[in-house]
Amino acid sequence: MTDHNDTITREKFMAELWRYKRGSVTRRHFLGVTGLGTATAVLGAAMPGLMPRPAWSQANIGDRVILATWPNYHEPTNFEAFTEATGAAVQVNVFGSNEEMLAKLQAGGSGWDVFVPTNYTITTYVDEGLIEPIDVSRLPNYDASAFDARFASPGTVNDTLYAVSKNWGTTGYAINTAKNGDVTPTTWKEFWDMTMTNFSGRTMVHDYQLTTIGNALKYFGYSFNSVDANELADAEKLLLDAKPHLFAINSDYQPSMRSGDAWMTMCWTGDGKQLNTDIPEIKYVLGKEGGELWSDFYAIPKGAPHMDAAYALIDFLLTPENNAKEALFHGYPVADARTNALLPAELLNDPIIYPAADLLSALEFGAAATLTDPNRAELLARFKSA
Amino acid sequence: MQPRVKTWLFLMPAGLWFLTMLVLPLVVVFIFSFGERGAAGGYVPAFTLDQYANLPARWAAFRNTLTLAPIGTVVCLLIAYPLAYFLALRTTPKWRTLLLILVIVPFWTSILIRSYAWIFILGGRGLPTLISALGLGDVQLINTPFAVLVGIVYGYLPLMVFPIFVSLERLDKRLLEASSDLGCPPWRSFLNVTLPLSMPGVATGCMLVFILLMGEFLIPAILGGGKVFFVGNALVDLFLQSRNWAYGSAVAVTLVAIMLVTVTAYMRFTRRWAGGRDDVSLM
Amino acid sequence: MRIYALAVYAFLYFPIGVIALFSLNAGRHASQFQGFSTQWYGKALANPFVMDALKTSLTVALVSALLASLFGTMAALALQSVKGRTRVFFDALIYIAVMVPGIVIGIATLIALVTVFNWLNPILEIIWPIADQAPKLSMGFGSLIAAHGLFTMALVVIIVRARIAGMDRSLIEASADLYATPFGTFRQVTLPQIFPGILAGFLLSFTFSFDDFIIAFFVAGSETTLPIYVFSSIRRGVTPEINAIGTMVLGASLAILILAQTILQRGRKQAGGSAP
Repeated sequence: MTDHNDTITREKFMAELWRYKRGSVTRRHFLGVTGLGTATAVLGAAMPGLMPRPAWSQANIGDRVILATWPNYHEPTNFEAFTEATGAAVQVNVFGSNEEMLAKLQAGGSGWDVFVPTNYTITTYVDEGLIEPIDVSRLPNYDASAFDARFASPGTVNDTLYAVSKNWGTTGYAINTAKNGDVTPTTWKEFWDMTMTNFSGRTMVHDYQLTTIGNALKYFGYSFNSVDANELADAEKLLLDAKPHLFAINSDYQPSMRSGDAWMTMCWTGDGKQLNTDIPEIKYVLGKEGGELWSDFYAIPKGAPHMDAAYALIDFLLTPENNAKEALFHGYPVADARTNALLPAELLNDPIIYPAADLLSALEFGAAATLTDPNRAELLARFKSA
Repeated sequence: MQPRVKTWLFLMPAGLWFLTMLVLPLVVVFIFSFGERGAAGGYVPAFTLDQYANLPARWAAFRNTLTLAPIGTVVCLLIAYPLAYFLALRTTPKWRTLLLILVIVPFWTSILIRSYAWIFILGGRGLPTLISALGLGDVQLINTPFAVLVGIVYGYLPLMVFPIFVSLERLDKRLLEASSDLGCPPWRSFLNVTLPLSMPGVATGCMLVFILLMGEFLIPAILGGGKVFFVGNALVDLFLQSRNWAYGSAVAVTLVAIMLVTVTAYMRFTRRWAGGRDDVSLM
Repeated sequence: MRIYALAVYAFLYFPIGVIALFSLNAGRHASQFQGFSTQWYGKALANPFVMDALKTSLTVALVSALLASLFGTMAALALQSVKGRTRVFFDALIYIAVMVPGIVIGIATLIALVTVFNWLNPILEIIWPIADQAPKLSMGFGSLIAAHGLFTMALVVIIVRARIAGMDRSLIEASADLYATPFGTFRQVTLPQIFPGILAGFLLSFTFSFDDFIIAFFVAGSETTLPIYVFSSIRRGVTPEINAIGTMVLGASLAILILAQTILQRGRKQAGGSAP
């Protein structure tokens, strides 16, 4: 590394990172200024000697790997680095709901090598025989003891490891406070009431039964995971009342929030962080009543066509240095202590990413029953087709 | 070779193809529509009419499709007819070819990308900004039935222009001359000669567009923001979200049944109307 | 009238202009214009998944259009001499194939093939001579070609049949009177007359398959066609790369159309000149 690169401060690094993300500087400039370019090159060259031969540098893992994941959830340059290191190009397929992933896998022949299921869905994948057990020996950079058990344990079903922790996060909402007299609301009740009054025509909800129905249930103070017929009926009535006031029903809300078409949207942690960084008047809110706390995993579907490449990709992305770059890009918290040690304090103290304890304790993990419950699926479909 | 054997050999590949890819899947869908949803989704065999009894839950999707498909068809027709007329009767042959090509070309770009372009145009920073700058108030265009209608008309206009153009071009120009020699004003010649003779083209175009609209999924998905729901969207959701194959099959069977009835009735009607001429109609 | 035509053309081309403009965007977000650059064209061409998707789309479109033209033409020729029940049956099949919406074809094919494969795969495993080597049937190229071929074959039958109906029969009789073999008659008289129909059917079939999203969405299995790639990218938030792909596809089809038109016109002129 050159002297000039050694002197970069943490603040400067973050500033450059966000400049790069906004597109005002090129990747080459960013990598040059921050020294990451040389660092990556040096690391790449040094790795095989330093470590017990990482899976992703094994010879001949094929020329491709297919990843099914969520929107805005990966650092693109990490994929480029993976391709450079292994020769396997990464194809990213983006999904809007866990239901959609499950449907694709149930219909057979998805062709995926790695997918990113959420905590509450893993038991269903195991029951349906759609998921491969993870062979930890093929993930040399994975260290189970470094992970916060609260977020990593749903990956183990019947004492078998099926999925390794990717990120965790919350589901709240993002609001453009400039359109609300700079007032930041604090509850789900306000979210729904504003949708039907001063934010009419400007609110978005997810195309996803768990969060859209769950957060409507929260309006009444019911459990986020309720499958009780009467409680669901209340939620349905609220959703149907709100529908004419919605801007859209779509899980990919960033473009509309950025363009100013939408002012408020149900939102996941990282999207909230990304929006808030670029447009400070967009705030991320966790409803006081509660809502969803979740953790996502890397897993391998049964019969994945490029198994070696799948392990290599997971191992590469979970390597703390790479995982830290992921977190800097997407703004979702990581359950891996090794990765957190590499992250700047600003990120670890960020109230969007690590909410206050009292807000966090009100949240619930999604329940497996919601995924297969026919009434919740049908309720969302009725809401959409109404 | 025996002529009979040869005929059968010639019919075999297409026949087998139709049997495995059309008859078999439709029969499976029909059977599944009497089944039940599995615990984690999919299908379990059963014999029940529950799926059909539950059809009213998709009433809105059927209503949207059955209103926007005919409206879209008619708007397409109203925009396409004058253009086809202009191309067939008011251009020189050299220009005609070029102009015709220019009508097909947009049809060759993915309908996905073309629909997506309308998000920019109808979105908050597009037309609505212009409208409010003109002092006409704030309007939301994107994610409304209007946006879907624009997308539909834009997407299927070429399909309407072509058959009408063909039937107008074939028209015997001497009839028009005769009509004007007999002192008919142009509008009467149009009503009495041109319009009736172009009816087969109109019928074909309308049917093509209507059939495609009835199964539309992409345009409402892209320009309707999940708020304007067609039967196609309901079907995609049933198979790709709630994984209810049995109910999805029942919705699919109902859609096909509605189309069989409307299209057949429409063809009967237009055939009689067009005076038994079926040269340009679909079959 | 002319102004009206101009307005319609403006309507047709305005969105395409928007796509082309945004494909030259230097920035990453499609909704904010940040200066001109042609970098996205290079990126699209260097992206292995775009190229793979293009290859898949071209292969599927070419194979399904060729099969549909061949089998469709054969069926149209044979149907001339078929009467009665077979004829009614075929007419009904063609009618249904044209009328059933693509989305229903996609769904029906998906659930039928998945169900059939779930039956056949265990059987194959048992009867296959080499253990653990049995082929596993799944959705992919085969199902894509088969599902696209269905609609397009019906289209070819309709077009070619219309062409046969408009054919000058006296030529065939004359040819037979001159002791030409049936195959000779077919090659020298029938085929040239119906060829424009076959060509039109082929081109339509190719276009349909190349542009189809909804059927492929259900039956493509692990394959990715260009429309599926574009759809999945749009959900990730459109980069100008997608607009660049669209502009290139448009440019290529425009070039092909103009080229075809020029060749056709020259051919027509030459034919006209050499005629007695």
